[in-house]
Amino acid sequence: MGMSDEEIQAAMIEKATKSPKAQLYIKDFYKCDPDTKPRMIKNLANDLVKKGELMFWSSGSTTMYARPDRIKNEEGDSGVN
Amino acid sequence: MAKHETPLLDELESGPWPSFVTDIKRQAEKNPDCWDILGLLELSFKERITHWKHGGIVGVFGYGGGIVGRYCDVPKQFPGVEHFHTVRVNQPASKYYSTENLRALMALWDKHGSGMTNMHGSTGDIILLGCRTEALEPFFWDLTHELGQDLGGSGSNLRTPANCLGQSRCEWSCYDTEELCHHLTMHYQDEIHRPAFPYKFKFKFSGCSNDCVAAIARSDFAVIGTWRDDIRIDQVAVKEYVAGKHPANGGSYIGGDWDAFSIKKEVLDLCPTECMWMEGDELKIDNAECTRCMHCINVMPRALRPGAHGGASICIGAKAPILDGAQFATLIIPFMEVSAENEFENVIDVIENVWDWWMEVGKNRERIGETMQRVGLPTFIKVMGLDPIPQHIKEPRSNPYVFWEEEEVPGGFERCVDDFRKRHAA
Ligand code: HEM
Ligand code: HEM
Ligand code: SF4
Ligand code: SF4
Repeated sequence: MGMSDEEIQAAMIEKATKSPKAQLYIKDFYKCDPDTKPRMIKNLANDLVKKGELMFWSSGSTTMYARPDRIKNEEGDSGVN
Repeated sequence: MAKHETPLLDELESGPWPSFVTDIKRQAEKNPDCWDILGLLELSFKERITHWKHGGIVGVFGYGGGIVGRYCDVPKQFPGVEHFHTVRVNQPASKYYSTENLRALMALWDKHGSGMTNMHGSTGDIILLGCRTEALEPFFWDLTHELGQDLGGSGSNLRTPANCLGQSRCEWSCYDTEELCHHLTMHYQDEIHRPAFPYKFKFKFSGCSNDCVAAIARSDFAVIGTWRDDIRIDQVAVKEYVAGKHPANGGSYIGGDWDAFSIKKEVLDLCPTECMWMEGDELKIDNAECTRCMHCINVMPRALRPGAHGGASICIGAKAPILDGAQFATLIIPFMEVSAENEFENVIDVIENVWDWWMEVGKNRERIGETMQRVGLPTFIKVMGLDPIPQHIKEPRSNPYVFWEEEEVPGGFERCVDDFRKRHAA
């Protein structure tokens, strides 16, 4: 029996809270449940953004995910483009 | 009246070319914030370092793309560009505008932003340059409610799809590029407005291999019109071209000191697959060898037309040079029917097959062209469920090794050693 959406989302929140880097790539979440297709993980991540549990952070060319309380303000200073 | 001294930038106004410095100065007379763009850039020229920071904001409420956050790191000196976010607005298909719509867009941007634009960005969008964070939501409300227009894609989203003007004006278009572009834009709204991939992904649609949107160079997934049957020849018009009654290339070269039109020099000898010849005054084409490059049709448009059975080739994996150099897309599917009647179902199947694989196998910030390069074309073709064909091969092989999969070998890799030893004593 695979994980439920809620269980996967809980694992994603935990990962985003504990990871050394505040901003995570979507691929970093795939491991939360290797049996779930990447496009489904993407939908679950975007749903967490809708609920305010995660936020998007983009350099312009790549979008990453973060816990809102781990990003100082919208002027995050990572230099990737 | 200029707010900052900009001697270095002023030099860029000399010479015969249009200058962005002149453009920004003109806009600054209307919107004084724009003086700070020039001031900031002058400082960067002097100090040889950029003062733009970027990243952060990605959209308006509910969106995860369409806005590219930009800030300057010396806001006290240049308050006009403290926030200077870029907004991407989805352009109309083929970039057809009414003057009314253009005026409304400009008025909207003067109201909420700097008034500076880039029509259009490389992806195809209308690029509105420079506004403050607090202006984003009001701008978006007006854009969607008053103009009925929407944001485009940025970041790891599906980027705003773009098409050549296709059948709306061009007799060469082998499928309806506008219809396909519009259909996929609507079908993939979620992917355009919210991040969907490990990195950006672009679609572009050209109606023939003249490729007026440069799909083969600029898109991860290029749909380029082609035909399955024979080039349509009007032999009477061929004779008229030969007799000099029509200008070659629709008259593009009139006025140059070219010699009289030579069908041998300008058409037959330039056919890349050498599949054309004259029999008396009849033009012959070996259509099985024709690679559908459009050259002969471009030179003699009255005499030659693409075949009547149109469709498209799918090429995958173009990209700009960040890793491994720039590359064109690789031909993957030589011909595919493209029809609104089945709601482009076969095109969508290919797209989703590609996405499912790339999302899994692609690395962070790796374009699909790079993933293909890393795993090799044979692997990619297998993933796509296709059989290799000669058109997949770029050049004769230089590598002497041939690899076999177990299922390709009769009897597989299992063997009976005793049986072998009967023939080859140890
Ligand atoms: C049934 C026995 C053997 C088979 C099937 C075999 C097969 C091969 C093959 C396929 C190559 C590559 C040739 C090429 O790439 O052009 C090769 C190269 C070579 N083999 Fe063997 N080999 C056998 C026995 C031996 C033995 C017994 C020795 C040495 C005592 C040996 C030494 C070499 C060397 C030095 C090369 C490299 C030659 C070069 O690259 O110029 N091989 N062998
Ligand atoms: C720690 C021990 C060794 C290491 C790490 C080593 C490593 C290598 C490497 C990396 C290659 C090149 C392969 C290629 O270019 O595809 C090679 C080739 C070769 N090695 Fe060794 N090798 C070792 C010991 C030996 C010994 C003991 C012999 C023979 C007694 C030997 C005979 C050969 C031969 C004949 C070639 C092919 C040369 C050629 O075709 O030009 N190697 N080895
Ligand atoms: S790509 Fe071909 S069909 Fe499209 S506008 Fe250009 S010439 Fe016409
Ligand atoms: S389309 Fe190109 S390849 Fe085909 S016959 Fe004309 S010139 Fe030759």
